[in-house]
Amino acid sequence: MMSTAQDDPTPKMILDRIAAPVAGKLRMAGWLGIAAALVWPAQAALVGLVLGTLVAPGASPGLSPLAGAAGFLGLALLRILLDWQSQKLSANAAETVLRETRARLLSRAFRQASRVAALSPAELAALSAEKLAALEPWATRYRPAFLRARIVPVAFLILVATQSWAAAVILLIAGPLIPLFMALVGMAAQEASEKQMIEIGALNRLLIDRIAAITDLRLLGAEARSRADLEIKSDDLRIRTMAVLRVAFLSSTVLELFSAIGVAFMAVYVGFSLIGWMNFGTWGVKMTPAEGIFLLMIAPEFFQPLRDLAAAWHDRAAALAVASELDATEQAIDGAETMLGTGGAGHAPAIGALRWQGITIRPGAAAAPIALPDGTVAPGEAVAITGPSGAGKTTLLTALAGLIRPEAGSVHLGDLRLSDETADDWRAAFGWIPQSPRFPDASLRELITLNRPGDLEAALAAAQAAEVVAGLPGALDARLGDMGGGVSGGEARRLLIARAHYAQRPIVLADEPTADLDPETGAKIIAGLLALRARGTTLIVASHDPALIAAMDRSIALEAGA
Amino acid sequence: MKTLLTLAWRLIADQKWSFLRGLALSFLVLAMGAALLGLSGWFVTAAAVAGISGLGLDFDFFRPSAGVRGLALGRAAARYGERLLTHDATLRALADLRLALMDGVARRPHEAQARLRGAEALNRLTSDVDALDGLLLRLVLPFLAGGMAQLAALGMLWWLEGEAIGIAVFLIYFFGAGFGLIWVARAARRDARAAETALQGIRRRALETMRARADLAIAGQLEEATARTLAEVEADALARRNLEALDRRVAAVIAATTALAGATALAIGGQMAAAGQITPARAAIGLFVALALAESVLLLRRGMAEIGRMQEAGARVRDLTDTPPRPVPEIPAGPADPQAPLLEARALSFARPGSTRPVFEDLSFTLRPGETLFLTGPSGAGKSTALAVLAGLMPPGSGTLSIEGRPLAQLPEPELRRHLTMVPQRSQLIGGSIAENLALALPADGALDEDAAWAALRAVALDEVIAGRGGLGAMLGEGGGGLSGGQAKRLALARAALRQPKVLLLDEPTEGLDPATARTTLTGLRALLPETGFVIVSHRSPDQAFATRSIALR
Repeated sequence: MMSTAQDDPTPKMILDRIAAPVAGKLRMAGWLGIAAALVWPAQAALVGLVLGTLVAPGASPGLSPLAGAAGFLGLALLRILLDWQSQKLSANAAETVLRETRARLLSRAFRQASRVAALSPAELAALSAEKLAALEPWATRYRPAFLRARIVPVAFLILVATQSWAAAVILLIAGPLIPLFMALVGMAAQEASEKQMIEIGALNRLLIDRIAAITDLRLLGAEARSRADLEIKSDDLRIRTMAVLRVAFLSSTVLELFSAIGVAFMAVYVGFSLIGWMNFGTWGVKMTPAEGIFLLMIAPEFFQPLRDLAAAWHDRAAALAVASELDATEQAIDGAETMLGTGGAGHAPAIGALRWQGITIRPGAAAAPIALPDGTVAPGEAVAITGPSGAGKTTLLTALAGLIRPEAGSVHLGDLRLSDETADDWRAAFGWIPQSPRFPDASLRELITLNRPGDLEAALAAAQAAEVVAGLPGALDARLGDMGGGVSGGEARRLLIARAHYAQRPIVLADEPTADLDPETGAKIIAGLLALRARGTTLIVASHDPALIAAMDRSIALEAGA
Repeated sequence: MKTLLTLAWRLIADQKWSFLRGLALSFLVLAMGAALLGLSGWFVTAAAVAGISGLGLDFDFFRPSAGVRGLALGRAAARYGERLLTHDATLRALADLRLALMDGVARRPHEAQARLRGAEALNRLTSDVDALDGLLLRLVLPFLAGGMAQLAALGMLWWLEGEAIGIAVFLIYFFGAGFGLIWVARAARRDARAAETALQGIRRRALETMRARADLAIAGQLEEATARTLAEVEADALARRNLEALDRRVAAVIAATTALAGATALAIGGQMAAAGQITPARAAIGLFVALALAESVLLLRRGMAEIGRMQEAGARVRDLTDTPPRPVPEIPAGPADPQAPLLEARALSFARPGSTRPVFEDLSFTLRPGETLFLTGPSGAGKSTALAVLAGLMPPGSGTLSIEGRPLAQLPEPELRRHLTMVPQRSQLIGGSIAENLALALPADGALDEDAAWAALRAVALDEVIAGRGGLGAMLGEGGGGLSGGQAKRLALARAALRQPKVLLLDEPTEGLDPATARTTLTGLRALLPETGFVIVSHRSPDQAFATRSIALR
């Protein structure tokens, strides 16, 4: 489907590429986090000195409790400051990545040619909103934790080894071969968390499924039955989820266990050394109380970076998944055609005859190209484009509006040729009535006027849409919403014809305006269109409705599979 | 905050014992962690004293070192048990919450349900439930267990080292983690709301711009629409920046609290030890316990980061679960009159709230057993709305409607559904087997009679299709996925027929069917239910051959 396996970058490479612009910031954030973690040994040393002085007054160097506490607090503030900067930097990097990725994806997706989009609107919405948001915790939590886990334990191990190689051995045994340990835990956790996501997703889908059917359930008197059924299924899912969690928690328990055992062994070793029962591992010098306390305080912090990493592991899995999806989507958009121009506001060109010659178009990415017959439409003419389904009627209309890029051929309006440069001005001459209108979330008034001056009453009357408006709650202030809630298909088209009347554009393209309508509603649509024509508008209508075709001046027939 | 507390209490109330056990173990984990570090610090310092004073041989090393090992193992085991128990209890509580949500949605009026069934609303509903899974795990339980651990530490430190250290450490955590976090998180809800609004904004703008991009390009507004979408992206970035800053402040407050508690314990304990009031080993306990208590507030960090989101989600969830019960008819209906028409409408009309024009008006008819009434009219004439009113989903604006001589409004819901059912234009199937879908038509405890099921399927010419898929046990995806539109429609028809209703309302029953199948389906239904009164809305004229009578709506 896509490129061959060996060209395919791994999800990790894709993720790195996405984050490349902020790689420096992320690295800096990581190092600041490491610096913060490395403040702890200094704090531990201060505590060691204070307790050492208490145990053996007169020991050198000595430190009073108050001075030690003040130093401890001061270092803690330094640590907080470093952590603060680290988090701020990684949050900043995450923000940049997220903003730029979203902006790039959305602007390119919106400019795809009509009807051949590489992804559905719902997919684009989900990807650009929730899914891409997974990049943030990856940058703010996982990346810094990953760097810390690579550096901090090693640094602590070296510090401990300078005091006592035996203590270093204890840490090494408790956290055996750190990378392996991490990998094992990571794999188990990843697998379990993926399974858990699936199970929780299943619970949600079950709920959605039932709520989507709630009217049917009420009509069937099946609310109680369905509830009981949902209860059983939820319980079943919970039992399966718990089975998964039992494994997942085991892996994090292993981490907890190793770190607790590490601390316990360190305490016993240090205690025995200080009593004097053990005299090995300290490079031939007797361990001082201050050193002993220092070693004991280092032990729990040695494991902390590993625990942080395990906690952030899920963020990595989520980011890798979304990176792969983003990459596949962007490649698909690359492969898909774009519309001509940018879709900005333009100045309508002088009107002449609309001519098209030798147009060959691929109606979909995988479809075979179709050749469309040449045609000319004089200003003020009303022309029907006819032909069986699949002959390319809608494709021709979209090509005339520069919404799809022909593989060959040219389109002229008078002397102006349709191209990327002229497309925005070109389209300013056109009005558009699609077969299934989609309404953005705006008031009906805005939808029809597009916030431009004009005679709204007259436009509604000419399109026979005044009664449609009257039936809506709030009339012109009604918000139809995504699915055109509250208006039927025929009503929606009448509203769009009203918009065409209002905009007074010289050429109007209408795609199957009477499809799936009863004859009575169809007649109203035709009357609205003829009213456009009566004021001199050029009409080009794709249709196979005999009544509509008869109402036009002439027709251009497309042949199936031409 | 009150919203979250009420909701938390509701979640806990149903699973009291699971939560109490989980809470006990959470506390145990924290207490053992503090004890492990405190004991280790005491042991090491005491050993140092013994080593220096040459009293090593008298030192009881066995019990402390065994204690340290025991605490280490016990803590890990308690942690594992705690996580299992609290997650199990949370899953149970969330399952209850989902059921309560479904009940709440079921009690909403018909129009409100239609809005809630939209993809956007469903998406938000489930993400709200997901947001609340941290309420107990990451806020309530850590808060309670942490508070208990702090109190236990207060008692232990008071006893071992005197009141000064105990009270100092307790107060620092109390004000730092308590008031400090509340103060920092006071803007959480506002920020979370902004973030959510922006995220929904991105979704909505992306969806509508992508759908309408051809339209927008021709209007010359695509660039503007793109800019509007990117403005939402910008708003989202700003909201996230605020939430991140909040998280940073929470982390700083927690770190500062811990450091202050440790330093204070060190200063007071050290001074007391220097003055000979306590031994150095005891002074070490205070310090190490104070540092170990950090864990009791660290657990709150994630919860605090999510608190605003939870408040928002909680408010919406409560709004749905607290839907008032469906109104019960004030005047109970009398007995059915067998002589009266099955369904009788007199001068029915209906207008949407806020609209000046009625959707339909002056609808009158009588329907007797075995009759088929067709409602016709142009698109937008209110045929589907009329059917919803006839089905008792919405009250009529004026006029009367009675079933077997009893006013519809006086019939309790279960009684009404026993006599009358409807197959809406966009009827929904559920995920599960064919049998499960059909069984929805039966009383709550009824089992599906296979012969009746096949008879119903045969009536709608679906028996061969279902048999080809492996019979009644064949599984469907969510929303009946796997069947074509026409097949799903016919399965919904068969399901309604299984109820043997006296009145059956059908909205565009043959939509998506070819003429031959449409004819077979309607004939089959009529043969299966010879005594039932049908009211059918259809814009396909061939269907009208089945009509006893037609009424045109304008």
